[in-house]
Amino acid sequence: MSIHFEKVDHIYSPDTVFEFKALEDVSLDISIGRITAIIGATGSGKTTLVQHLNGLLLPSKGFLKVNDFTIKENEKPKNIKELRKQVGLVFQFAEYQLFEETLIKDVAFGPKNFGVEEKEAEMIAANALVTAGIDPKDFNKSPLELSGGQKRRVAIAGILAMAPSILVLDEPTAGLDPQGAKAMMELFSMLNREKGITVLIVTHNMEHVLDYCDEVVVLESGKVIMHTDKKQFFKNDQYMEKASIDPPIIISFKKMCQKQGVDFDTDVLTIDKLVDEIIKKRGKR
Amino acid sequence: MNNITLGRFIPLNSFVHKLDPRTKIVAMMILLVAIFIPVGFIGYGIIGVFLLIALILSKLSFSFVWKSFKPSLFMLVFLLIINMFLIKTGDIWLTIGTFNLYSGAVIQTIYIVLRLLLMIVITTMLTATTKPLDLTMGLEDLLSPLAKLNVPTHDIAMMISLALRFIPTLLEEAQRILKAQASRGVDMESGSFKEKIQAILSLIVPLFVSSFQKADDLADAMEARGYVVGAERVRYKQLKFTFSDFITLFSVTGILAALILIKVL
Repeated sequence: MSIHFEKVDHIYSPDTVFEFKALEDVSLDISIGRITAIIGATGSGKTTLVQHLNGLLLPSKGFLKVNDFTIKENEKPKNIKELRKQVGLVFQFAEYQLFEETLIKDVAFGPKNFGVEEKEAEMIAANALVTAGIDPKDFNKSPLELSGGQKRRVAIAGILAMAPSILVLDEPTAGLDPQGAKAMMELFSMLNREKGITVLIVTHNMEHVLDYCDEVVVLESGKVIMHTDKKQFFKNDQYMEKASIDPPIIISFKKMCQKQGVDFDTDVLTIDKLVDEIIKKRGKR
Repeated sequence: MNNITLGRFIPLNSFVHKLDPRTKIVAMMILLVAIFIPVGFIGYGIIGVFLLIALILSKLSFSFVWKSFKPSLFMLVFLLIINMFLIKTGDIWLTIGTFNLYSGAVIQTIYIVLRLLLMIVITTMLTATTKPLDLTMGLEDLLSPLAKLNVPTHDIAMMISLALRFIPTLLEEAQRILKAQASRGVDMESGSFKEKIQAILSLIVPLFVSSFQKADDLADAMEARGYVVGAERVRYKQLKFTFSDFITLFSVTGILAALILIKVL
């Protein structure tokens, strides 16, 4: 089990006036069983990168290995269906892909495509919907009757129903209210913890990176410019300033304290820990 | 889907790109009429040379034009076969069993193929060198005499420009949904008939839903910015007729006149 990119380039519309190099010389190892955040400015190649993982896009140069599959340049891997079953990809604004009359049918669509019998598919779908936080009362509603956040949950359930071992999410919380976004991130964290699913999240939200992710990959103009542990990443606040990333509130707070001469340990990354530290420091005085 | 060249605007900076869209529309119509004046190969030769010059001036690559032929290749082959069986004029050139191939059939087919190819080149040139919005602006101007007859020319032009504006958006959306469904194991290429129908449904239903949503949003956005149907509007961008427009129109009209003369004489 591994995810490995080897010198991957991706060029859109090659040999035309629209030619665009979206990825350049990307070599990357994603850790299995962890939550990895992929960040970078708009147009830095995040979406292009993740769409290689289940063979929707093929490298223009180089190759990548995902589990037992090798995705080579401009060549569709054999048994691509199995690859897509193992790598669940949730798109940005995934709610737009719902099409069936009822939620349960829509979620069962995935497993049915992979050859599961109708009855069993609906059982799997019901489980996935519950996991994604949908009330069983709503299973027979039309997707059009739901709110945006609920629709997104259904779309995610549609991917979970395929029981992927790698879950890739392209800005899963974009356009959700803070609470809904938080609940969504909790869901991915739970899937990672309890089912050991490897999670990759494309995001702009540094709070989420801090609270839920283990590792961070930073893309800039199609190149991987950084791949580190979360702690290392947040130590390097100069980088965040340069890339005009808004640091999480706790990092900003610690920096403000530092300016006033109060230093906190770099390990302090949660509010609870920070409070403890402050109390400890006060005790000393 | 990125390979669709038909009707696609190619942003380049050339003589043809800078022409007034009205000139290009009128020139296209004149040339299309000229193609249907039956003077044989001389006529197609004249138009062909003119288009070749225009193509070079437009800086479009030949491979681009070749690609725009591709979708019609099937139709051309189909026409060829139909003609071979139906037209029975001229000399017999070839006999296979009971089937006779007449010279008339071959020449007719070549005519039709040439006509179609020329028409494709002409229309591709127009859409490839003119921004969709300029195109509709030109169209609106050309239709403006009809406004006196209470034809809502502005509304028509607005509808056309909106429709054109949303072609790339819808294509992009379709591609996105296609990818999303492929991630759920949809296979557009293989599978039984029933599976294929299901696959197409999984594309079309979300596409419709999002189109309606987009249309609603667009209508709201337009109203919020003060758009009123049928109201008098002024334009920021003004179309200008330049010397090169006169040259273009002059040469196109010249071709038409020449062909008519050849035909009459």
